[in-house]
Amino acid sequence: MTLLLECRKLKRTGIIPAFLAGGLLSAAVPIINMAARSSSYTSLSGDPLTILLDSNWQMMAMLNILTLICTSCMMYHSEYADNGIQKMDVLPVRPFGMFLGKTFITALSLAMMILLEMASFALCMDHWFSGSDASSAIFAIPGASGTDFPVSGVSDSGASFAGLAFSLLKAGGFQFLILLPTALLMLLIASACRNIWISLGIGVICVFALMILPQDSLILNLIPFHTPYLTFPAVLQEEQIAPFLFACTAETLLFAFAESLFLKVRRCFS
Amino acid sequence: MNRTNIIETQHLTKSYGDFTAVSDLNLHIRRGSVYGFLGPNGAGKSTTMKMLLGLTRPTGGIFQIDGKSYPRDRVAILREIGSFIEAPAFYGNLTGEENLDLIRRILGLPKSSVEEALDLVGLTQFRKRMARKYSLGMKQRLGLAGALIGRPPILILDEPTNGLDPVGIHEIRTLIRSLPKRYDCTVLVSSHLLPEVELMADDIGILNHGRLLFEGTTDELKQEALSSGLPADNLEEAFLAMIDEDNRRPEEAPGRRTDRRTERQTDRTDPASARKRRTTGGERK
Repeated sequence: MTLLLECRKLKRTGIIPAFLAGGLLSAAVPIINMAARSSSYTSLSGDPLTILLDSNWQMMAMLNILTLICTSCMMYHSEYADNGIQKMDVLPVRPFGMFLGKTFITALSLAMMILLEMASFALCMDHWFSGSDASSAIFAIPGASGTDFPVSGVSDSGASFAGLAFSLLKAGGFQFLILLPTALLMLLIASACRNIWISLGIGVICVFALMILPQDSLILNLIPFHTPYLTFPAVLQEEQIAPFLFACTAETLLFAFAESLFLKVRRCFS
Repeated sequence: MNRTNIIETQHLTKSYGDFTAVSDLNLHIRRGSVYGFLGPNGAGKSTTMKMLLGLTRPTGGIFQIDGKSYPRDRVAILREIGSFIEAPAFYGNLTGEENLDLIRRILGLPKSSVEEALDLVGLTQFRKRMARKYSLGMKQRLGLAGALIGRPPILILDEPTNGLDPVGIHEIRTLIRSLPKRYDCTVLVSSHLLPEVELMADDIGILNHGRLLFEGTTDELKQEALSSGLPADNLEEAFLAMIDEDNRRPEEAPGRRTDRRTERQTDRTDPASARKRRTTGGERK
């Protein structure tokens, strides 16, 4: 019910088009990069997905985060601009339910963005890596690219497609999960600020302040706004997938709990 | 809680740091009446209403609404109240109709209630227009429609005629006056204009600096004015004089005022004590 209401509130806010535009822009990055410098990448050894992620993900992650910041701010701006949130506060609706509804919509839209990005990787692999030696590497190194498919049987086109799809989904799923703490934190910031420029400013400052952090420390890598820059192959190589996903899930729950506390405390000061 | 009163507050207080917005407030709002909450700007009317709606947490005191207490029964209380606080609250990106439909879905009301509410405030022909593009008066009407939708048993309206033209003011005033009879509801309406409240309300509560100076009917206000040596032929003058006198009083005075106020409030909750005081020559004639 709350989710349905939240979906209705999105009408004419431009949030879904913003997610779509962000996803398409981000998905265009590897295609443009490959079109411009294909020889530089196809000559590299290793699996194509790792090559594509290593060469494009920094830019794509930043676009994902910026889209997230904009849409979170827009979501709460539509609540605060004409006092809609105050009307909700005097109706029998749980404010935390509203937050969860917004979180679900954001998560779903992010999943859509990541799917577009993975589809773009698939397109690049099919177009630029299909003839190269590296094309088989994605299946040849079980685990290294996120796939556990064995080398044998790869010649079968159905199995190779399934293997490719599985490895893309695995990488996409990982990138999605590590984006969630940032999404929750941004929604928390946006819900706390009546003025859209404040939340937008905080978000943008966080993006540019935290993107310069080194990526070789587990603790630093767990800082929201910095986490999404990591790639699945890089974390897999460090054998930190499980603790990483556990920590990201814990962070996501922590920010949701922080929002529930904030909603309780807010009434004391309003 | 007295069963004739649908809303009662006991020593309701709200402080922000060392500033007390509402102090030791004891309100008694009769079921089926229009209660005019009167006071100058910054008197604490909106803060009181916000506390009744759970928008802000009281620093002290308690209140009951239709036998339910806050914060335990917050959601149940909100289900019974239609409200309009400070400024119209809506989603500017939705049309008037969509805004009301959102409220209808939350309250689980039939589809016809949206049309009824729009009709009640005269917005039917503008229902497809985005709320952001409404004029100030139309926004005010939309806010009222949001409060009236589903005929709630209790209405809390904070200066509902703000921003309306004279015709709109008259329409809304007439509507509010007719609500208890039409929909069997109780209305708590605030204003800083006594003539406006006088035309709408059965009972009046006068608030200044967060303290309740008077609670009773307009006749009782006249009597109070007479007994205090204030002009009683013009209630607005009496109200202004009452506020002015309160503003000029030194800090220790509120205790004295509270005693007299408490007597009046005791009359409302305990008619026997009122009769006793009348017979023994108490202040109420």
